[in-house]
Amino acid sequence: MEQPYRIANDLKYSPKELKTNVNVTQTSSLKEFFLLIGGVLAFLVIGYGALGFLVDLIAPRLPYKIEQALSGPFEHHFFDVKKSKESEELERVLGGLLDVMPGEVGPYRARLVDDNRVNAMALPGGNIIVFSGLMDEIESEEELAFVLGHELGHFANRDHLKGLGRGLVFYSLFVLLLGSDSLLTELIGGSLAGVQMKFSQHQEMMADMYALDLLNRRYDQVTGATGFMEKLVSKEKKGRLAYYFSTHPHPKTRMANIKSKIQN
Amino acid sequence: MGQLIIVIVLIGLGYVVGSILEKKHYRSIISREAQLLHIPTVSVKNIIEDGVDIIDARMVQGSVVISIDHFKRILASLRNIFGGRVTAYESLIDRARREAILRMKEKSPNADIVLNTRIETSTIGRSANSRKSIGSIEAMAYGTAISYRK
Repeated sequence: MEQPYRIANDLKYSPKELKTNVNVTQTSSLKEFFLLIGGVLAFLVIGYGALGFLVDLIAPRLPYKIEQALSGPFEHHFFDVKKSKESEELERVLGGLLDVMPGEVGPYRARLVDDNRVNAMALPGGNIIVFSGLMDEIESEEELAFVLGHELGHFANRDHLKGLGRGLVFYSLFVLLLGSDSLLTELIGGSLAGVQMKFSQHQEMMADMYALDLLNRRYDQVTGATGFMEKLVSKEKKGRLAYYFSTHPHPKTRMANIKSKIQN
Repeated sequence: MGQLIIVIVLIGLGYVVGSILEKKHYRSIISREAQLLHIPTVSVKNIIEDGVDIIDARMVQGSVVISIDHFKRILASLRNIFGGRVTAYESLIDRARREAILRMKEKSPNADIVLNTRIETSTIGRSANSRKSIGSIEAMAYGTAISYRK
């Protein structure tokens, strides 16, 4: 068979070692890594800032029906509710506060959850979760009313929706960047559950003021607030109540603010 | 938080160990390539030299599987966001191809030429194509090793 092509007989193969490698780009992978991470962070910061601003605009105007639709996952999360005298007391005190609550009053509920943490939460859908750890610390009805009033203040100021919205924005940005099944997204999503319910210190202050106002309307006095805050101030060093403060202003600051408000 | 620390440790480990192993592999590739340089590896199908007697012709193949590390994976997924050359994977593919050819040549170190050389690549591993887990690349080189009568 005729060969398809011929080469000159004197063209001999002479092996040559290649000194450079064009198939691999000679770059610093660490430099590239930090450059890309920087780009992602810049995108997140700008996106979070812009969308977070929108959330703060929209959240106060969100109809209750939508809020209720959003509350599904949270209802499920705290289903382990303790029925006892304490929880009845909770409902009774809350009912008293709701009677004097100004503006539109939603179907708010208070639930006692068996948990040693000294904390209370305002969840989307109008559920106030009080951990039994906090309940144990409370000695009078006014003190309980202050705690519930504080959480009602978050509802009235729509802080819970702002927090949820910002969490949602953060998560959405990550999904947008990395896809929903990425390891990083899962990681962020996991830590988000804790982040999204945290409010700014300013929001906490406003909730304190709101609780004070409610207390004044309900009982014509605010000893509950000062009593509870004094307890926080004295317990603060022991660390048992530390969890409650993680997102809140220092209790002494809160106390000072409450006192100046009372004087006015 | 604990999860984040694990991921950072894995990425750091991937960078340190991955770099060391890659450098070591390249040193080995370069020295073995020099040793086997006398065997041309061509994609031509026919013998192009005149007046040679073939005494042996056999199929030879060499394959290698190389895994990516967490650092390369994160770097590549970050690169996916912005687009551009995925340099993290370049060295991986390069190593796999060269190692496969070397292994193929090592199958017949006395051959005079390897004709009709082909390289195939595939991703392997239980979930090689899912984004969550670490994948591996396989490179397989095969050809016909020819020996001439001297």
